[in-house]
Amino acid sequence: MNAFLCTDNLCRHFGGVMATNRLCIEFEKTGLRSIIGPNGAGKTTFINIITGRIPASSGKVHFQGAEITNKPTHELVKLGICRTFQITSIFNNLTVFENVRIAKQANSGGSLRIFSTKKSLKKVACDTWVILERLGLKDLAGLPAKNMSYGDQRILEVAIALAGDPEILFLDEPTAGMSPAETKHISDLIKGLSKEISIVLVEHDMDMVMRISDKITVLHYGSIIAEGAPEEIRTNQLVREAYLGKDT
Amino acid sequence: MSGSPSMPDSHTSLSPLKLIGLVVLFIALALLPFVWGNRFYISLITEIMIYGLLAMSLDVLLGYTGLLSFMHNAYLGIGAYVVGLFLIHVSPTSLWLACLVGVVFTGLVALPVGWIQVRTGGLAFALLTLAFGMMFYTIVWKWYGLTGGDDGLMGVPSPDIQLFGWSVGNTGNPAHMYLLTLFVVAIALILTRRIISSPFGAVLEAIRENEERAAFVGINVRRYKLFGWMLACVLAGTAGALYILCKGYIGPVTMSAFAGAGVLMMVLLGGLGTLWGPIVGAGIFIYIQDYISTMTEHWEIFLGIVVIFLVLFMPTGFVGLGNFFKRLRKD
Repeated sequence: MNAFLCTDNLCRHFGGVMATNRLCIEFEKTGLRSIIGPNGAGKTTFINIITGRIPASSGKVHFQGAEITNKPTHELVKLGICRTFQITSIFNNLTVFENVRIAKQANSGGSLRIFSTKKSLKKVACDTWVILERLGLKDLAGLPAKNMSYGDQRILEVAIALAGDPEILFLDEPTAGMSPAETKHISDLIKGLSKEISIVLVEHDMDMVMRISDKITVLHYGSIIAEGAPEEIRTNQLVREAYLGKDT
Repeated sequence: MSGSPSMPDSHTSLSPLKLIGLVVLFIALALLPFVWGNRFYISLITEIMIYGLLAMSLDVLLGYTGLLSFMHNAYLGIGAYVVGLFLIHVSPTSLWLACLVGVVFTGLVALPVGWIQVRTGGLAFALLTLAFGMMFYTIVWKWYGLTGGDDGLMGVPSPDIQLFGWSVGNTGNPAHMYLLTLFVVAIALILTRRIISSPFGAVLEAIRENEERAAFVGINVRRYKLFGWMLACVLAGTAGALYILCKGYIGPVTMSAFAGAGVLMMVLLGGLGTLWGPIVGAGIFIYIQDYISTMTEHWEIFLGIVVIFLVLFMPTGFVGLGNFFKRLRKD
């Protein structure tokens, strides 16, 4: 239980289907871990349990030595467990700035100041600008989020997640539907972040996964079939079979 | 400090010109009963302001927090009955104490109801408001000994309006009641606008926009939904206190689902998420209701037709009309 974040025999079934089957995975304090696997392997279910979106059927999650299984989402975020979604989840009718600002505010307090102005939370505004600048969204700050391009919306969601000051950040297919240039931008960003915090990436883009991951975990039918550095995974026979089927 | 000092915010603060305009409007409204002696219309405008306050409180819930209440009038009713009962049974002269008791009681009823309701969202939340509202309606309707049942609560005394020990008027006088209502509604509007543009208001808007995302930035969604609900119900209770003082009477019909639909129409007619829009909506609704009911007792049919036209051709309400003219001017 000394790992930064680890799961202990984590299970989740939907009816008779074991979407997550006795998973024991350890995550380090920094670095980039990718979780890959064929469609339906249970990747998203796994991170949904850890981030409190759905409850576990059994098993435990430990974070920095404390058990956090099935805690409410907002408490997990306060602990530093943040995420993005496979289907973009942002505040459509708020501006880009407000999208990030509210995440920052929720994380740094002041939400109960009913008679103050939003401007009075100066540190929140300052920190918001820093994040927007870092992600290259500064010029779009005043734009309603719904009017952004799809790729920019994906980046905005990463910005929202970062505003929660994550210690571990789960990214569920951040590059889905992005152009090659946008994918390059976001993968550089993710790689940079992984030097400071723990990043867990669920991704289908194998080129990107192989290029930037420090360690890869491969899931198949809810179980781990392989774990290791990118070059080990590339040559792993089980992984090939899971993706391509057995040679006959 | 990095970056630009300004904050790109969808809430624009009032320009000085608009502020002057609003102050002039307020003064004009305050002077109205002194230059216009028509007691009927003064009372009608008072009623519009009271329902405006109720519609505005529903806008806090619907337009800012994204929660639909089908029977927000139930909380106006609770406030009104409690203030009326207090004046009849406890003290016929203690105006402010009666109002305080009425508003606090409304809050005390709203708290456990809200606690249950915020466990849900969307349609389930709306259905629960209907369920609770109908329960309250039935209790008021059937508890004849306390509420007067179908006959309503009658013989509510009209206390003097005391300010710092001075009697400045009487709630039985339509002009005095008009001025009291104007001041209370204006203060409520200013306070609510302030709250809505605060960091707390930003949380409510985030919940309206995307409840799941709000939870995933660290907001305790249920708790803030409950706060939004309480704010809306306390404002509705305040409207209820004004209602009983203005009319001296309340019947269970005021708390019916039919009346609740009317409040919802006021909000939509005026424009969602603006606070002042629903007050204008209440004006349109009550004026049409009053105008048509002088011609036919089946006024609901004609009101329905008017509402259908307004919804088809002004889908964003009266507020949308303003934007429409702005666009015309630009083109």
